[in-house]
Parts: sequence; structure tokens; C-alpha cells
Amino acid sequence: MQYLLQLLISGLAIGAIYGLIAMGFAVIYKSTGLVNFAQGEMTMITAYIAWTISTTVSGNVVVVAFGAILAGILLGLIIERVVMRPMLGEPVFATVMVTIGLAVILRSAINFVWDAYPHGLDVGMGRDIVRLGGIGVRTGQIAVIATLLSLLAAIWAFFRYSKMGVAMRAVAADDRTALLMGISATRVHALAWAASSVIAGIGGVFFALSYDLSPAMFQLGLKAFPATILGGLDAVLGSGLGGLLIGITENLAGGYLGSGMKEIAGFAMIIVVLMIRPFGMFGERDIERV
Amino acid sequence: MRTGDYKQTYGELVALIDSPPVWLWSAVLMLALIAAPYLLNAYALSFLMIILITVTGALGLNILTGYTGLISLGHVGFLVTGAYAYAILVSKYHMPPLVGFLGAGLVPALASLVVGAPSLRLKGLYLAITTLAFSFIINTVILEMRWLTNGARGISVQRPEMLGISFESDAAFTYLCLGVAMLTLLATLNIRRSRVGRAFVAIRDNDTAARVMGINLHAYKLLAFVTSAFITGLAGALYGIYLSFVSVEGFPFLLSIEALAILIVGGLGSALGAVLGTVLIVLLPEATRLVFSLFSAQLDAVFTTGAQELKSMLYGLVIILFLRFQPRGLVGAWHDIRRAWVNWPLRY
Repeated sequence: MQYLLQLLISGLAIGAIYGLIAMGFAVIYKSTGLVNFAQGEMTMITAYIAWTISTTVSGNVVVVAFGAILAGILLGLIIERVVMRPMLGEPVFATVMVTIGLAVILRSAINFVWDAYPHGLDVGMGRDIVRLGGIGVRTGQIAVIATLLSLLAAIWAFFRYSKMGVAMRAVAADDRTALLMGISATRVHALAWAASSVIAGIGGVFFALSYDLSPAMFQLGLKAFPATILGGLDAVLGSGLGGLLIGITENLAGGYLGSGMKEIAGFAMIIVVLMIRPFGMFGERDIERV
Repeated sequence: MRTGDYKQTYGELVALIDSPPVWLWSAVLMLALIAAPYLLNAYALSFLMIILITVTGALGLNILTGYTGLISLGHVGFLVTGAYAYAILVSKYHMPPLVGFLGAGLVPALASLVVGAPSLRLKGLYLAITTLAFSFIINTVILEMRWLTNGARGISVQRPEMLGISFESDAAFTYLCLGVAMLTLLATLNIRRSRVGRAFVAIRDNDTAARVMGINLHAYKLLAFVTSAFITGLAGALYGIYLSFVSVEGFPFLLSIEALAILIVGGLGSALGAVLGTVLIVLLPEATRLVFSLFSAQLDAVFTTGAQELKSMLYGLVIILFLRFQPRGLVGAWHDIRRAWVNWPLRY
């Protein structure tokens, strides 16, 4: 029982990180119709920048957090402006391949700029252990779950009530009509990339806080794939919840079936889900008529 | 003056080679390739081997992604399956290498049915993600099935001896790769002009229309998967022999990206494109290194220390630049140049 609870809680914590990155995927998919294969790399860059800030400028938690958020926004905006905007109007295959190219560039750039050794991100908090009903939990783990939940609420409110959120939904639903109604698609795209980059970057920073930074971190993006597919590529909230589910499944599979299963539990799960509901659990069914 | 490319009979349209100069150039290239192992030094020869093996794999992926329009991000899964099938059959169970090659084709083909069948309902990005998932699952399965695959330790593979011919030397092995690459090229060119190939292209261009025309989408998509996996598996076996060692690390995920990069750079859906793309992508790092070393020793040093990173950065950059400025790839560029040459001084 103790073991199960421990697995569940650490599953929730890692799942919240997957959820944040998966929300990054979903935000971009929802407003531009693209799967951003560079999401894992963007997550990783933000985490590395946070680490650089913490070691060279200040280890203060507020400074690091603001720096990371700013870096995430800038990264998203730059990528949108330099790489993605010229591809506007090109076929989806071409644009998605561009994100793959981008992923390759970012990944090697990280290895080139920073070194290939693992580092711990230390901001003076998040590593202390508190006991909840006899189970040791790190404060960072609680913080990431809380962050995910509050971001879920904020994004739900954003899409529901704010003018920009409604504009994003309109561009996603039908970009031509949205353009005719006077919505600037480029601004929507830029906002989506910046938002996605920040949300995923927060996930990356939390990952660095609880585990370690290493060049293998881009795999977080691959791990978050199952989460966003499970929730539905176009469902931002669903993706966040999908992350929690994948995290728990992975940890349970790892705890009871062996470490090999842990690596592929998520992927095995999405293959099954895609066979039953190809649009995810919360995604919208695409209806094609001839 | 030749004003265009006119085809008057159906036979001309589906001819393998439609003009005499192409016959000539193909023959010259063939002779050059046959002479190459005796003229090149060992370093250059290793590039030729890699190009021939990669061409085989790229042609395999071209059937699935280029002809049929099904994006696969997990082709390295078929490559590694083929390599392991060969290594297990030949090194572990001491089967003749020919049986090994047959297995290297058939095992990935069977595996492709396992991926292909659930993928039939999926399109575009979702399919890409399923194939990606497949390649990760395959890696884990290989690592877990230690009794068969030696897990992370890998299997060493010898150069084969088939039909009384030893392929031990580099020159002989190059001929083997050349033979396989040529057969694959002929096979994919012939598939493209057959009924099956036209069905593939119809599915790529508009699957709804293809279905209305009476093409069985499921059967043809599976067929594309199986053919593609078979050829890719053969390339995997050759690559394993080239490395003389088969392990999961020998087949990194980047190979899948590299294969797609080759197709994009060459020109999607064209066999010639796959060949041109391979030559460019394989030689690109080497060419860049040469250019760098011309400029200064310092740049050369940067390149040597960060070679792997710079190499993959180049892949990424090349993919993006081609998609942005020449989406039809080298083949498209070649067509443009030819048209400009023929029509000069008119634009078209």
C-alpha cells in the first residue's frame, strides 16, 4: 500500500511535468494545426537557461523563475518569427518537417553551447522532503502539481473569457473566416508559440529541479507525446490531464512490470487509444464528408 | 528545337528510361561504380559503401512516404529489426547469409504489418506519431529479449560468404552493396510505373478520390508498409554488416530524421531524388569539413571537437532551407534548370 501510494505520487509529479509539456503541444496544435516536434528541445533550452541564470547570476528563486519565463517567451517568439512564419500557407507536412529540422538544430546547439554532463538546478528550495501521511514527498513535486492545476484553470478561463482566447479558437476552427473577421492570424500564432514555449519551459525547469539537467532531456518531449495524444491534440486541458494519466501509468508499469516497461508504457497506451478513439479522449472528432 | 516532353503512347509514358542520353549516362555511371572499388582509397570507399547502403534504405522509405504519402518517423525501427534478424540468423544460428538476408527482409515486413494494421485508421501526424512510438517500442523489446538479442551487449557480425564468393574485402562488400542498391532502384522504379505504384500515388494525392476509383485503401497502404519495411530491413542488414556489430546504439533515432531529410532534399516521391539526396546528405559533413579546413586550422579544430553536433545542426538547417526555398528538392531544381536551358531566352 505504501509502495503503491509512493508510486502514485511520484507518478503524479512526473505526470504534471509531462502535462505541462503536452499542453505546450496542444496550444500550438490548437491555433496553428501543427505538431511541434521541437517541443522537447524548447523545454530543455529554457531549463538550461534557468540553470545558467542560477549558477552565474543569482540562485534566487524569483530571479530564476522570471528569467526562465522571459527566456521561454523570447524563444517562442523568435522561433515563430524566424522559422515558422515564412512557412505560413505551406502544406502541413512541410511545416511539421521544419519543426523536426528545428528540433535537430536546437538539440545539437544545446550540446554545443552547454556541456554533455548532468547538472542539478539549485534554487535553494524544492528539494526538501515533507511527509504526507507517512510518505515522503519533495516540495518541488507538490509545487509542480499545483502549478499544473492552476495553469489548467488559467488557460481554461483564457480560452473561455478573454478576447484573445476566443480569437485563437476562431483561428483554429477556420483560419480564413477568422482572417475575414479581422483577426490577425500572425499575432495569434506568435502568442501561441510564446505561450507554448513558456508552459513547456516551466515543465522543464521543474524537471531540472526534481531530477537533473542533461542532454537527454529532449526525450521529455517524446514522453509528453503520449500525453497529448491521449488527451487529444486539440484539447489543451485534456493534454494536461493526459500527462497525469501517463505519469501514473508509467510509474505503475515501472514499479510492477519492470523498468523496460516504464519506457514504453506511454507509447503502448497511445497505440491502443488511437485504435479506439483516433482523436484522443477529449479531442474533437474530425468529420469528413465527400 | 525540343519544346517539351511529349508522350504519344502509353508505352512511352511508363517506359523505364525515356531518352537515349539517359541510357548513355546510366551506363557511364554504372561503369564508374564498377571501377570505383579499384580506384578509390579505403577512406573514400567507406563513403561509397555508406552511400549505397543509405540509398537502399532511402528508396525503401520513399515507397511509404514518397509514393504513398504515409509519413514514417520510425523507419529506424525497421532498419534495426532487419539488422538484428540478419545477425541472429547468421551469427547466432549459423544459417547461410542468403537466408539471413531473406530474414532481414521478412521480419521487418511482418513487423510492419503489426504497425500498419492499427495505423490504417490514422492519417498524417497521428500516423507519424504511431510509427515513432513503434521505433521506441522495438528498441525496448530488443533490449528486453536478452536470450535472443544479447540485450544491450549487441551481436557481432562477420562479412558474409555467399554462393562461393567471399565478401570479406572492402571492394567485394562494396559490390554486394552496389548489387542490392541497383536491384532496389530497379524494383522501386518498376513499382512506381506498375498498377500498384500508380495506386500508391493516387492514395498520396487524394485518398478519397482513390477510394472512389476502386482502390482498396487498406490493402494498398499495408502493401506499401510491407514493401517499404522489406527493403529497409535489407538496408539494415547491410548496415549491420558494415558496422560489423549490431546493437541498439548503432541505430540512433536520428537515422529516421536523416532518412526523411534525404527524401526532402532529393525530392519526395522520386527514386532519382532519393539517390541524389543520399549523395548530398552523406557527403555534406565531409564537404563542410573540407571547406572549413580550407579557411583556417582554428575552424577545423572547432569542427573536430564539435563534429557530431555541427553535423546534426547541418541536417536540421538543410531540411529547413530546402523546405523553405526548394520544396521539390534537388530533382525539382534539376527540372527547373533543364527547362530554363531548353527554353532560353524565354522564361517558359
